[in-house]
Amino acid sequence: MKAISSNKKTELDTTFRSRVIEHLGGENLGACFQCGTCSASCPIQLIDERYNPRKIIRRALLGSKDVLSEDFIWLCVNCYSCYERCPQDVRVTEVINAIKNLAVEDGIVHPSLVKLIEVLKERGTTYEVGKLENQKRERLGLPIIDKKSDDIKKILDKK
Amino acid sequence: MRYAFFIGCTTPVRALNYELSTRKVAEKLGVELVDVPEFSCCGFPLKALSDERALAIAVNNLAIAEEKGLDVCTVCSACASFLTEANRQFKENKAFRKIAENILKELGRTYSGKVVVKHFARVLYEDVGIEKIRKNIKKPLALNVAVHYGCHYLKPSRIYKKFDDPEAPKTLDELVAVTGAKSVDYGKKKQCCGGGILGINEQIALTLSKEKLDDVKNSKADAMVLICPFCSIMYDVNQRKIESNFETEYRIPVLYYPQLLGLALGLKKEELSFDINRVKVDSLLERLK
Amino acid sequence: MKKHPRTGVYICECGHNIGGVVDVKKVTEYAKTLPPVVVARYNKYTCSELGQSSIAKDIRDHKLERVVVASCSPSLHEHIFQKVLEGSGLNPYLFEMVNIREQCSWVHHNEPEKATEKAKDLVRAAVMRATLLEPLEKPTKSVEKSALVIGGGIGGISAALYLANNGVKTYLVEKEPSIGGHMAMLDKTFPTLDCSLCILSPRMVEVRQNPNIELLANSDVVEISGSVGDFRVKIKKRPRFVDPDKCVACGACSAKCPTKVKDDFNFGFSERKAIYIPFPQAVPNCYLIDKNNCLYLNKGVCRICEKTCERKAIDFNQKEEVIELKAGAIVVATGFDLFDASEKKQYGYKCYPNVISNLDFERLINASGPTDGKLKRPSDGKSPQSVAFIQCVGSRDKNTASYCSRVCCMITVKQALLIKEKYPETEVFVYYTDMRTPGKNFEEFYEKARSKGVVFIRGKPGEITESAESRLRILAEDIDSGILLDNEIDLVVLAAGLRPPKELRDLAQKLHASLSPDGFLAEAHPKLHPTETNIDGVFLAGCVQFPKDIPDTVATAGNAAAGVLNLLNKDRIEAESITAWVDIKKCSGCGSCILVCPYDAISLDEDGKAVVDEIVCKGCGSCVATCLSGAIQQRHYTDKQLISQLKALLKDGKV
Repeated sequence: MKAISSNKKTELDTTFRSRVIEHLGGENLGACFQCGTCSASCPIQLIDERYNPRKIIRRALLGSKDVLSEDFIWLCVNCYSCYERCPQDVRVTEVINAIKNLAVEDGIVHPSLVKLIEVLKERGTTYEVGKLENQKRERLGLPIIDKKSDDIKKILDKK
Repeated sequence: MRYAFFIGCTTPVRALNYELSTRKVAEKLGVELVDVPEFSCCGFPLKALSDERALAIAVNNLAIAEEKGLDVCTVCSACASFLTEANRQFKENKAFRKIAENILKELGRTYSGKVVVKHFARVLYEDVGIEKIRKNIKKPLALNVAVHYGCHYLKPSRIYKKFDDPEAPKTLDELVAVTGAKSVDYGKKKQCCGGGILGINEQIALTLSKEKLDDVKNSKADAMVLICPFCSIMYDVNQRKIESNFETEYRIPVLYYPQLLGLALGLKKEELSFDINRVKVDSLLERLK
Repeated sequence: MKKHPRTGVYICECGHNIGGVVDVKKVTEYAKTLPPVVVARYNKYTCSELGQSSIAKDIRDHKLERVVVASCSPSLHEHIFQKVLEGSGLNPYLFEMVNIREQCSWVHHNEPEKATEKAKDLVRAAVMRATLLEPLEKPTKSVEKSALVIGGGIGGISAALYLANNGVKTYLVEKEPSIGGHMAMLDKTFPTLDCSLCILSPRMVEVRQNPNIELLANSDVVEISGSVGDFRVKIKKRPRFVDPDKCVACGACSAKCPTKVKDDFNFGFSERKAIYIPFPQAVPNCYLIDKNNCLYLNKGVCRICEKTCERKAIDFNQKEEVIELKAGAIVVATGFDLFDASEKKQYGYKCYPNVISNLDFERLINASGPTDGKLKRPSDGKSPQSVAFIQCVGSRDKNTASYCSRVCCMITVKQALLIKEKYPETEVFVYYTDMRTPGKNFEEFYEKARSKGVVFIRGKPGEITESAESRLRILAEDIDSGILLDNEIDLVVLAAGLRPPKELRDLAQKLHASLSPDGFLAEAHPKLHPTETNIDGVFLAGCVQFPKDIPDTVATAGNAAAGVLNLLNKDRIEAESITAWVDIKKCSGCGSCILVCPYDAISLDEDGKAVVDEIVCKGCGSCVATCLSGAIQQRHYTDKQLISQLKALLKDGKV
């Protein structure tokens, strides 16, 4: 099946659809009947119309693999409004997250994630608790934090 | 009421006022919060990278809690939802459970799914209960507040066994009411703070927060009350930035619920560290005297 | 060596259903090794003409005394094979059917070798049980020439008239004070735009006038016992406190009554008095007193209605009446309940005054409704400049009911057309997921709405919020254009779905009838027996089976009535032969069996021993399982027969 529109001709790949369904979170993709409740409930869609959860799901259903390289897929804020209201239990938030994960698998990683991974592997938390931070804590009578965790490094590095 | 205190990443660094007021309120009401230095980040920020690995990180934290024979109490809503979801996946998704168990084995741990995860606000609502809180109120507060539930405290409702209704939530309003403060209605009460994409598209994230602040301003509430450090980063820490980006003015104080409750329980100002709140709370406190 | 009865075994391939998994050839060869078996065959479709005649031939040629068929579930074709035996002079109860389809090939389709072994085990067990089977006679019982119709909506009314006009004494029971059901609430019906009550009312009057129909309105079914041909039913008639023989529905009492109550018939949009008639065309055309709100019945004061009534029709002493009746068959036509749209909190029903349901709308647009047919916004009584319909509220929704309620699209198109007819300047929008308008003249009806300017938007709103002056804000994506739409509307109508009536669960229990997973009453077979239930003699009609429109309700009512007539026209019907009997030597008279019998078939005789009325007994086996002394046995399922079957199953291939 081909997608023919004014500026691009793309090959639609039904294995992409299966990839999404087989990925953790994407299981219920097939139940979607495109009612539009998700888009109607999405706060991001109202600000940036390029981000349309229903359309993203549609592209996954049709096997439009190039959705992985769209920059807007990273805009889902994980508010779960779509998930909550979807009448077919598609679990939209999780399907879109599965699409993000597939993008990463294909080597497309949003820059904000790259630094995050580094930091979490190194110390196990997103913010550093250094000397200054511990001084502030002590002044307030809060326990100091001096332990780092390498559990995340082990978990991410595992094959 | 004894819980492993899951403080998360943001609170112990950027929301010390939240951490301190939580500990003080917990102490006052008989909730023991046990520090667990072994906890790591809950895993939620890595969800976009790999849901599987991120959830495994969450399960690892739950395993640590189970080793200590404790349930988990969080102060961040994202931690609450992510740990709860990880628990659910572990118990209901056979394929994921296998992967998680393999990963745990490498770290020398096991998990049997017994740990219960609750946000601190839910601990107050369910374990302590409104009536017990009411008995401890020393100074009812004459304030109008705009309650912000945030998203992860309520949704997805199925993982919380529908403990509150995202379409018509009431638990936080009740917790606010018991302090004597009045919860005002305002248009975008159910709107997300946008914090989740602050690192991806700051403009959109701030726009979401701005929309909420506009409605809160129109409602003439004296302050906003919330229960998640990231929501606070958006509404409190970034309030100035929103004011300048969008050429508007708010000066709306943003309180953490334990700070509000702490006041009503008669705790001292110093125990609630209002000086850390970015938007000044002084005039509000003055009014309450 | 014990002499076994000569047994024939027939293994069915059932096309690929069995043959595709089980090696029927191997099973047949195995069957031949069993001592009682003198002939064993396999065929592609044993239930076919060919299959049946091969059995008949073998019975003759091999002088068979027992027949075993291994194929599908006995519930499908057991009776066909029993007829083959009868036709060949063998008692039909010397037949044993083995299920190697539903219980073997269908569930073990991934393990063909193991399935084949299981089939062999099942056949062996059946053959050994068959050696102990005994011939049984089929008793017959008389049929009560009367029918009970439960539910007085258009379905119940149609069924009752059909039966009564064919000479059957029919009891029509209705829980409301008047018959008519939901159809009596509608303004117009689709696609003809006939006035609903105008076409319904004559049928309601026919019911009242038909000498064969006994109408029991304001009544509930309390108890049902017995079985096909002789159901015994207890009805409780709630008091009206008004004598229907005297009341002429003049309304004088109501005019004077001081107590006002919200009118349920108009969904609370108007008020009625404590003494009232549900609607002017009610049948029975009689007033009644709402005992929860009447001043006299609650506080002992007033009685103005009694003083006002010239015909002395008010009777505060009227009591609840219990009526016991017998019926040969029952038709269930209890209709539906509308989905309570307040369950979808995001749409604001019962929260924002100008969000109403489709049924609320019917009352508002109805000339005999609370606003004389003028469409008024509940908040301020003004005429709306814009109306939006939201489809699939509560339907096609895994959070509430996943099925499609079938009629809501047509109801909305109808209501949209009614608005355009009366208020051509009013903007009308329909927010839908799919527009479903199959049916005669339905597509044309939909086209009419589009050409009259109704705007159809494919896109479901996330939520409805209230703005100034109780207007509603609707945000939805217009999927067909990809444009996000922000609309401000004066009145929103939610197309709420149809749900099973809340009393159905209780009624089904009384009938021992099954419910489908969606909560509606289950039909015996969805394709071929759509108006029968799994209980002999109990039929169904209308929406109690599943949402449907008026013509389909009338059609199913006719089909159900035909089923009843089929039954009632017989002089005698076959009673159950697989009945229970009591060995009085073992019976201790404890009475446990009596407590568990759902058909009231057991009683204690003058010696205090249990005795089973074999005509009433339906062979369910509950008493057999309950009896602590083992005194009750079931014919065709005696302990001996069952134990021999178990032993053969467990003997690991050796008999």
